[in-house]
This record gives sequence, structure tokens and C-alpha cells, in this order.
Amino acid sequence: MSRWLAEALAVAAKDLRAEFRTRVALNSLALFALTTLAAVSYTIGPYRLAAEDRPFLLSVLLWIVIFFAALAGLDRSFVKEEESHTAPLLRLAAAPTVVWAGKLLYNLVLIFVLMAMLAPLFCVLMGFEIAMPWRFVVVLAVGGYGLAVITTIVAAIIAQAMTRGALFSVLSLPLLLPLLIIVIEGTRAVAMGDLASFSESLRAMITMAGAMTIVSAFLFPIVWRD
Amino acid sequence: MNRVGFALKWFLFVWMVVVIWAAFMWIPSAEGFKGESSRIVFFHVPTAWVATLAFLVSCIASGMYLWRREPKYDFGAAVSAGLGLLYAVLATVTGAIFAKIMWGAYWNWDPRQTSITILLLIYAAYFALRSAVADPEKRATLSAVYSILAFVTVPFLMFIVPRIYFSLHPDVMTNADPDNSLDSAHLIVLLASLAGFTGLSVWLYSVGTRIEKIRHRRRQEVL
Repeated sequence: MSRWLAEALAVAAKDLRAEFRTRVALNSLALFALTTLAAVSYTIGPYRLAAEDRPFLLSVLLWIVIFFAALAGLDRSFVKEEESHTAPLLRLAAAPTVVWAGKLLYNLVLIFVLMAMLAPLFCVLMGFEIAMPWRFVVVLAVGGYGLAVITTIVAAIIAQAMTRGALFSVLSLPLLLPLLIIVIEGTRAVAMGDLASFSESLRAMITMAGAMTIVSAFLFPIVWRD
Repeated sequence: MNRVGFALKWFLFVWMVVVIWAAFMWIPSAEGFKGESSRIVFFHVPTAWVATLAFLVSCIASGMYLWRREPKYDFGAAVSAGLGLLYAVLATVTGAIFAKIMWGAYWNWDPRQTSITILLLIYAAYFALRSAVADPEKRATLSAVYSILAFVTVPFLMFIVPRIYFSLHPDVMTNADPDNSLDSAHLIVLLASLAGFTGLSVWLYSVGTRIEKIRHRRRQEVL
């Protein structure tokens, strides 16, 4: 078990090192997020929305920026292995579940970096007041994890197909939509201090992320084996 | 098999005619609904049921393909997903007609409408994936994986999302409201219609998989 974890960490570390050499994925994530945020903030700003609409609309906008930025950068994790023809070597070097866990960790790091940068900036620029800040962090963490799990398995699928770029969004979005609806509801709940609704959406989020984790851990070796 | 199949086909034909007659002529219009709108339940519920069933079959066939690696399971999964998509569209259309009569608008992003839209998107994406992979074996494997992933999200759409938000849709799954329950005549016709639609989709499924098998054989003859 500890060996498995060490190997998974090694795969993630390898990807992160390669990423920090070129910063392709991180740049596209960050630039997409910042551009969208600039557009949203310029048009709406902290004063444009009526007070009773704010928690609803701002949580929708926050998650739209996060999800679409994720779609712009996270498909790289497997596509780059196929493009640089390093996938066969990785197949030889590590067990399929290790590769899956490593890639998941890598995507998770990217998403958390994005969120750590974006969420505070969004709250400041849009004047988004959160009634329960620590629970907001929980929603971000669980939502980000669900996002990482789904995009990891979809990235593995599209790396095997043609027309990769377009297919990634086409395949990810329908799977992500239920999660997106639930995390938006959760964010609205933490912004308004609605504890019952927060607990309900958090449970739904955990169930969905958990189910997706188990299913993709089982299915990934089939996709990867080629 | 052939003679039995022939007899079953005619039986299905007569059965569906009787169901349609009963739904429109025999049953009195239910109270509490505007005009004759309650009759649509005999078609809306069976199409939604068959759509769910078809997606379940597609998921099981995908699992079987990944286990056994025989092309026939891939045909089953693809045909079944196609049927599910067709019936889901029919359920959406009948639901929208009912919504227009009862609540005044065809479409209002009611949670049920939202969830069926996502469901349609998911299975449309399934066919987008199928068309993007040229190699038949790889296509079968990847689409089987996606189909199982898609099926895992379905319960979240059907049960969890409508629970979080307020919905106008009558709650069929957990029928706690005694005013919403059907009287026995309605129940009989509804069950008959469910059986008829299930039989119809089984027949369509067998025709579809036969077509796929012929296509597969032709492709191999060409090669």
C-alpha cells in the first residue's frame, strides 16, 4: 500500500515537474480564469446585482469560471503522454491504478492551485460575502475533487480518440453538470448561511465524487491497457 | 423461434391497439386535471420507464462487453442507448405537452426537465464518442467505459437533483400523497401500457441488434 502510494506520488511529481517546465496547462487554466473573471467583474462588479439575487448569481458565476477553466487545461494530462509518445513507457513502468492515482493527484493540484488563486480574487472583486467561510472551503475542496475525478477519466478516454480538444468538453460537460448543479447549490447555501441546504448538497457531492472515484478506479485500467 | 417471433409480433400489435383504445376511449378523464390531459400519463410514464430500462440494458451490455470482449455486447449497448435516447425524447415531448396544458408553459426548467436534458446530453455525447473512434474494438471499449460512467450519474439526476429543488412533477417513485394515487382502472391501463411499451422496445432492440450483426458480417467480408 505504501509502495503503491509512493509510486502514485512519483507519477504525480513527474507530471508536475514536466508541467512547471512549460506551464502549458497552468497557463491556460489561469489565463482562462482571469480573462473570464475580468469580463464578469467589469460588467457586473460589486454593485450591479440586487442584494437578494447575489448569493444565487455569484455562486453560479464562480463555478462557471472554475469549470470552464478546468475544461481548458485538464485534458493535457493524458493527451501529452500520447502526443510525446511516452505513454508506452509509462505503461511499462507503472501499474494502471498507480497511473490513474498519479494523474488524479496532478489534476487535483492544478485545480486547487486554480481555486486558491481564483476564489479569493472572485470574492474580493465581486464583493461576494460568505457567511460560513470554512464551509465554503469544504465545498470548494469537495467540488474540486469531484471535478478532478471526472476530468481525469474523460481525459484518459479522449487521449485514445481522434479530435481530442472538442471531444473533451463534449464528454465532460454532461457528466459534470449534475455535480455543477449541486456545488452551486452548496455555494449558495454557505454564502447565505443556510446550514440544512449546505449539509444536503455536501452529502450529494460526497456521494457523487465517491461513486465516480470507485467507478473510474475500476474502469481506468481498461482504457489504459489499450 | 421464427414462428413464435411472428406470433409475438402480432400479439404486440393487437395489445398496443387495445392499450391505445383503452387510454383514449375506455378510461374516463381523471379528476383534478385540465380537460383530457390526464390521458397522456399512459404514454408519458411508459416512455420514461422504457428509456430508463434501455439505459440500464446499455450499461449492462457495456459491462458484459468489457468482461467478455464479444462484439455482440457492443451492438447491444449501442442499439440500446439509441433506443433510450429515442424514448427519452418521447418522454420529454409528452411531458412538455402535459406541462403546457396543466401549468401553462411547454418548458420551465423544472428539475425533471433539467435532469432529462442532461440525460439527453450524456447519451448524445456517447454517440459523439462512438463517431470519433475509427477502430471498432477501441470504439467498443471506450464507449462501454463512457456508458458505465454515464449510468453512474443517472441516479443523481433522477433522484437527488429533483429533491434539492422544488418540482411540480408528480412524485411517482415515493408516492406518499394519497390524492396522487391512481384508481384501479387507470392502474390496469397504465400497467398494460407499460407492458406493451416494454414489449415494443424488446422487439425494436432485437431488430436493431440483427441489423448491427449483418453490418458487422458485411464489414468482415469486405476485409
